[in-house]
Amino acid sequence: MIRERQGTDDDAVQGVIPRIVLEPATLEEAAAALCRSAADRLAVTFVGGGTDLGLGGRPARLDAVIRTGALSRLVDHAPADQVVTAEAGMTLGSLRETLALHRQWLALDPPFPDRATLGGVVAANAFGPRRARFGAARDLVLGVSIVRADGTAAKGGGRVVKNVAGFDLPRLMVGSLGTLALLTTVTFRVHPLPEARATVLFPGLDATQAWALTSGWRAAQLEPTSAAAILDSDRFDLGVRFEGFESGVADQTARMLGLGRKAGLAGARLGDVEAAEFWRRHDAVREGGSLRVKFSAPPSRLPEMARGWLPAVLGELSPSAAVLYPTLGLAFASGEPASAASLVAGLHDARVAVIAVGGSLVLCEAPVAVRRAFDPWGAPPPAIDLMRSLKERFDPDRRLSPGRFVGGI
Amino acid sequence: MSERTSLPDLARRMAAVVGARNCFSSGPDLLTYECDGITHGRTRPDLVVLPGTTQEVVEVVRLARASGRPIVPRGSGTGLSGGARPVPGSVVVALSRMRRILEVNLEDGWARVEPGVLNLDVTKAVSGAGYYYAPDPSSQSICSIGGNLAENAGGAHCLKYGFTANHVLGARLVLHDGRVVDIGGTSLDSPGHDLLAALVGSEGMLGIVTEVTLRLLRKPEATRTFFATFPSTDEGGEAVSRIIAAGILPAAIEMMDRLAIVAAKAATGLDWPDVGAALLMDADGPVAEVEDTSARAVKIAHEVGALEVRLPKSEAERQLMWKGRKSAFAAVGRISPNYMVEDGVIPRSEIASVLREIASMAKDQGLRVANVFHAGDGNLHPLVLYDARESGQEERAEHLGGQILRMCVRRGGSITGEHGVGADKAEYMADMFGESDLETMKWVRAAFDPECGFNPGKVFPSTPLCGETAGPGGRVLHPAEKSGEVERW
Repeated sequence: MIRERQGTDDDAVQGVIPRIVLEPATLEEAAAALCRSAADRLAVTFVGGGTDLGLGGRPARLDAVIRTGALSRLVDHAPADQVVTAEAGMTLGSLRETLALHRQWLALDPPFPDRATLGGVVAANAFGPRRARFGAARDLVLGVSIVRADGTAAKGGGRVVKNVAGFDLPRLMVGSLGTLALLTTVTFRVHPLPEARATVLFPGLDATQAWALTSGWRAAQLEPTSAAAILDSDRFDLGVRFEGFESGVADQTARMLGLGRKAGLAGARLGDVEAAEFWRRHDAVREGGSLRVKFSAPPSRLPEMARGWLPAVLGELSPSAAVLYPTLGLAFASGEPASAASLVAGLHDARVAVIAVGGSLVLCEAPVAVRRAFDPWGAPPPAIDLMRSLKERFDPDRRLSPGRFVGGI
Repeated sequence: MSERTSLPDLARRMAAVVGARNCFSSGPDLLTYECDGITHGRTRPDLVVLPGTTQEVVEVVRLARASGRPIVPRGSGTGLSGGARPVPGSVVVALSRMRRILEVNLEDGWARVEPGVLNLDVTKAVSGAGYYYAPDPSSQSICSIGGNLAENAGGAHCLKYGFTANHVLGARLVLHDGRVVDIGGTSLDSPGHDLLAALVGSEGMLGIVTEVTLRLLRKPEATRTFFATFPSTDEGGEAVSRIIAAGILPAAIEMMDRLAIVAAKAATGLDWPDVGAALLMDADGPVAEVEDTSARAVKIAHEVGALEVRLPKSEAERQLMWKGRKSAFAAVGRISPNYMVEDGVIPRSEIASVLREIASMAKDQGLRVANVFHAGDGNLHPLVLYDARESGQEERAEHLGGQILRMCVRRGGSITGEHGVGADKAEYMADMFGESDLETMKWVRAAFDPECGFNPGKVFPSTPLCGETAGPGGRVLHPAEKSGEVERW
């Protein structure tokens, strides 16, 4: 029997409280939960660790929340093949512990690792600074098992790192926010844990200096695994992290410092404690605030992002914080809105500006008053008809996370 | 769907769109388009059309679909799974005239190109500035970007750098009704479903791509290569496993067995010794890092019993080593009148035992198998050698190929690592995927092309057709099937 209970405030998705909560503990129960939802025509939303429920719109309908937390088993870890399969409700933190026993890791470092589940990370396309080197979920996911809206279990991809058999369901699930199917297991490619790591910090840069340094290390063929520019009043503290074998890390760190010196910028290789502190500051930007916004633009627009688009939003927040990933063209702003109305105006201006360069601005977390006045995704993309068509095939009754996605999908 | 247009009528209308030179329904030119890189399966299309612009593709698609004919998109035709093989009564739309590099932006690391651009030409266009396009199928000097996208092409270096799917940022797609849609873009994470995920690797079944935005990478600072020989594939496989277990991520690590080495030598004149196995490994990245990892890998090779380790003394010598590896497929033609290339994947830790199993299955069939493969990711390319003049050999070779693929599935692997399923391996999909898995994939197809008129007969086992599930009344007939021109794809 699937565990079932009444929904409470704690189960609310953007303020909408579900009538019931289903908590499947096995893959069979997960399928049964969807069968039941289909039979009773329940509108459902899937919840893992609940760390990205702020992403997307308010549910248009919500009868049941299906919680995946009890689907938390390791299915298979083949260290020699560097692949791991786990149930979708396993937390990233728990997977890390398992993999670390074999000196391996999943090179995904999104916020809230101790709560974020593997299924949630895939569904929300959650990522962290190491995306610079290892890519995001779409670059690391190899296979998925799903339960469809009709309660049928299906799978796609496989358990090997190289596989092009059939349509790519695993990648299609990435970022789909529960609109196509329930993820029940996920297979990832994993990497060896690096032997050494070091962070080089260049404090107090302006945007032009930060971008020049980014271009500089690319020209010099250095290969950091992460780079993050944290805003500190109107200057940036740029942290560049190298990971790998000791010799390579030492060499790249030294060369990175040399590039800074040549540009007249004082940098320092941080000690372990200071480095941890820098990355904690980074995490605080990604995890804090009742408002969190993600910006995407071509990387070379970093100076405009820093001088115009970010401040348009940050000016309406107090306190405010921001981090920019210079090689990716992605940035996050977070903080507490002073006035919803003027914040919405700032968000609107920033969105118009990033869209003009082919980018996007998406709400990751926002108070209700802001949500009411500002579409979390923005205008539907040009391919919205195809997305609707996809949704129609996977979920013809519109019962999976209705209203949460782009264009009201 | 209107009345089926007569072929001469359709040809005339197509010629008005693309020019008479770029449209033909007979003559020697048609022969080229009867098959792709798999030449044993040939089907004559009704018509071959070579559009030169997106707008021409739109009109070609509209005309073909209105005539009730299926469309078979085609790049360079180098595919090795029959993915571009026509079906009876089809219109082949070849994109080889669309070969312009439209825009390059090195600052943001991308190039926008037409689908007929050859893979290697992308790299050539930006290598002067120190950039390159990472996916490198062995056919990269002749295969096209459009074909790469359709098949999610890989290559020797995808162990570290990923496949085509990891390097396509955007695409312009012509849909079944002539609509043109832009997917993805030059910024990351465009809101919405990841339609590129559906498109890359869809084997020409969703529409026709007329522009592709590719990610360009900064060249690595240094590459260190070594060639190591071993008494047998057991030691070679062990070396691969230990290198990976040591935390090294080679850019490429390739293995050849005795027969493949013999063939490569015969074709290239390389002075490789007669040994049981050879490994070719690239490490790339910042120079200090690769010096270190390469030295560690060489040490491991010695530890597991390498007979010899050679380090190239020059870039020319390094290129020659790779030439030996990359020419191994064709080289097999030197030692056997005929051969079939397979493309299976196994968990890489099982390489040695899989090779023994392949050898034993080959022995049972009285055939020889040469093995060339991307050892780092467990992607095998067994080359089944046979002589078509000997009665029954071709059938036995096909049977053996099927046995090998099924063994890959049994061991938790895949029936294709990079060549695609195409027409040739569609029947094996059912070994790897259940009915509901295939049905779900068909939903994706039907979301893009509800009538399934793009590249029918590929990927999916033959029934039921398209994304339509057979209802109570039985199988749903495809329009082209109803019209009687196609019996069963």
